[in-house]
Amino acid sequence: MKILDIALKDMTRSFRSMFALIFMFVIPLLVPVMFYFMFGNIARNDQAFELPVTTVVIVNLDQGSPEFQQAMANFPGGMQADSLGGLVVSVLESQDFADLIQVSRAADPETARAAVDQQQAGVAILLPADFSAQFSTLEGQAVIEFYQDPTLTIGPGIVKSILKQFMDSISGAKIAVNVTMTETGTTDPALIGQVVGKYMASQPQGDPTATLLNIQSPVQMEPARNPILGIVGMVMGAMLIFYAYYTGVATALGILHEDEQHTLPRLFTTPTSPSSILTGKFLGVLLTVTAQVIILLIAARLIFQVNWGNWQAITLMCACIILNAAAFGIFINSLLKSSKQGGVVFGGVLTLTTWVGAMPIFLGFAGNTNPTVNTISLTVPQGWIVRMLMDGANSASLNQILFSALVTLAWTLIFFIVGIWRFQRRYA
Amino acid sequence: MKPKAIEVQNLHKHFGEIRAVDGVSFDVEHGEIFSLLGPNGAGKTTIISMLSCLLRPEEGDALVLGHSIRKDPMGVKSVLGVVPQEIALYEDLSARENLTFWGKMYGLRGARLKQRVDEVLEIIGLADRAKDRVGKYSGGMKRRVNIGVALLHKPQVIYMDEPTAGIDPQSRRNILDSVVALKDQGMTVLYTTHYMEEAQELSDHIAIMDHGKLIASGTNEELVQIVGEMDRITLTINAESQRVLEAWKVVKGVKQVMAEDGSITLLVDDSNQVLPRLFETAAAKDVRITSVAIQEPNLEAVFLHLTGRALRD
Repeated sequence: MKILDIALKDMTRSFRSMFALIFMFVIPLLVPVMFYFMFGNIARNDQAFELPVTTVVIVNLDQGSPEFQQAMANFPGGMQADSLGGLVVSVLESQDFADLIQVSRAADPETARAAVDQQQAGVAILLPADFSAQFSTLEGQAVIEFYQDPTLTIGPGIVKSILKQFMDSISGAKIAVNVTMTETGTTDPALIGQVVGKYMASQPQGDPTATLLNIQSPVQMEPARNPILGIVGMVMGAMLIFYAYYTGVATALGILHEDEQHTLPRLFTTPTSPSSILTGKFLGVLLTVTAQVIILLIAARLIFQVNWGNWQAITLMCACIILNAAAFGIFINSLLKSSKQGGVVFGGVLTLTTWVGAMPIFLGFAGNTNPTVNTISLTVPQGWIVRMLMDGANSASLNQILFSALVTLAWTLIFFIVGIWRFQRRYA
Repeated sequence: MKPKAIEVQNLHKHFGEIRAVDGVSFDVEHGEIFSLLGPNGAGKTTIISMLSCLLRPEEGDALVLGHSIRKDPMGVKSVLGVVPQEIALYEDLSARENLTFWGKMYGLRGARLKQRVDEVLEIIGLADRAKDRVGKYSGGMKRRVNIGVALLHKPQVIYMDEPTAGIDPQSRRNILDSVVALKDQGMTVLYTTHYMEEAQELSDHIAIMDHGKLIASGTNEELVQIVGEMDRITLTINAESQRVLEAWKVVKGVKQVMAEDGSITLLVDDSNQVLPRLFETAAAKDVRITSVAIQEPNLEAVFLHLTGRALRD
């Protein structure tokens, strides 16, 4: 019972210290927040990549031409229009682009331009009266007026890309017709229609809209295998490990503080055995790190949507972090003569061991997947924790991370035995 | 025959080359205040640490209410309360939280614990500030809580290691009154101090220590008898003390001379006869005496007589 009393007293003191609270919770969450704002949109690969829907106003004044109507009779895929302008409109209104552009029609160019100026539409497409006629003559040049909101980039760019690729296909057909007319000297609309039909049929899938737009996003190309591999998740994992060990070391430093502030000698004057006092101190460290790890895990899940993976694996990993960080804290502090040396521990040993252990995270983030890095990281207990973190996040089963857990627990046992032995010798 | 409350038998302890405690023995009767008096470094705190089972003696043993500090340290700890020289409290906890925690360490639980915490808060006069963090208290208030912790389990024996060190006169007065009150309740108090006045005022028995050894022991009256009918004269002069020191040492009736802090203290047989001779000798050396104080024999004089040094050295 006295063991628990000592542990709860230490925990109460830790949670009353603003300094401790900042280092236990604020900083570990603040660093990923910075990364979140730097890379947040990229890192959120568990969400669908969405393009904006662009509102397009079309003014189709095209009056068509006999040559074009003859050619349309031979179009593959059943696409029909009485003019080239009508064909452009039907392409843009097709269901294939319904999730990218929303098409409406206007009676005259002024109305369409006004809609763009008033930001009611992103793009206005103006098809002139001689659009088909110009296209159908050898020397003619069909012109589309493209009027866009200058504040928009992606949406108008997509619309322009659709139009360009469509017109490239049509222009290819026109070139084929020109070559035929030049070589054979014929102006027979039926023959020209056959040429157009054969050209279009030779295009991919025989459909002029088939290759108009191929939108690719990181999600669609290769969905991330696990969200923990996202930047924020990786940073949060590293912060969780570093600050769990920091709390372990800082809370265990309380033993030396209590010695220097004379409360530890006073404890030894009470009818409480030295082993109970030291066990209580260790339990205090353990409970404080436990509270910290649980709170950080939940906070990371709620704030950054970090998916920590298999719950059984993450439970085992957390148990390993908590036990090892607490034992590491006892061990390191047992080597110190006074709390004044604590700064060296925080600045040196802790930073070095955590950095070595977390190399697979940070160097992996930088694109370095050298296996030597993984091997070096396993020379410190934090390395095995990181390995568990990454394996667990990749949905590894309990059995798959069991070996890492056993190695970590072996480290824990060594730290605990040596640390407690040294403290007992000091206070015997 | 009723056993002594504390029986100290030939305790030895050294740190490196320094003999901190060198064969000290003494007995403390039930219900008395026993003071260990001596300058800093005399070995008082080392004795308290050994009697609290914080340090293990190299030789000797001590029995506290029959419990051996060597063979039964937990038995010793359960019957005594210790007020350490330093403030040993958690400054980020309130007085009530401190007392509750320390009460648990002495094995108190539940309603009994709450009752004792309330009682102790009343005894130390901090019931109205019980919820304030100790870190916000004045030095005197911290000292009172420091004492209160040792009273929680109603120990039969209490050690107080220089409890008035570095506090204001009013707080010191409160603490001295509370020590007497503890005795009135039947507690045995082992008190260490380097203030002669405190030892004189409080103690039933006094042991004077110097350099790890117990050099005299007894009641205040018994100790003063060591210096017999000698008077203590304290003088200040308008020149360097060395100019008259050697001359005064050979004046008839002067037993001991010591210079410190700009004044000169002499132990003399009869101040009425010796004082004129001191003035004559000073005048011969062209030194003028600027102040004279004559005191009855006290523990300061005893210490001076036994060691040739002032108690506050």
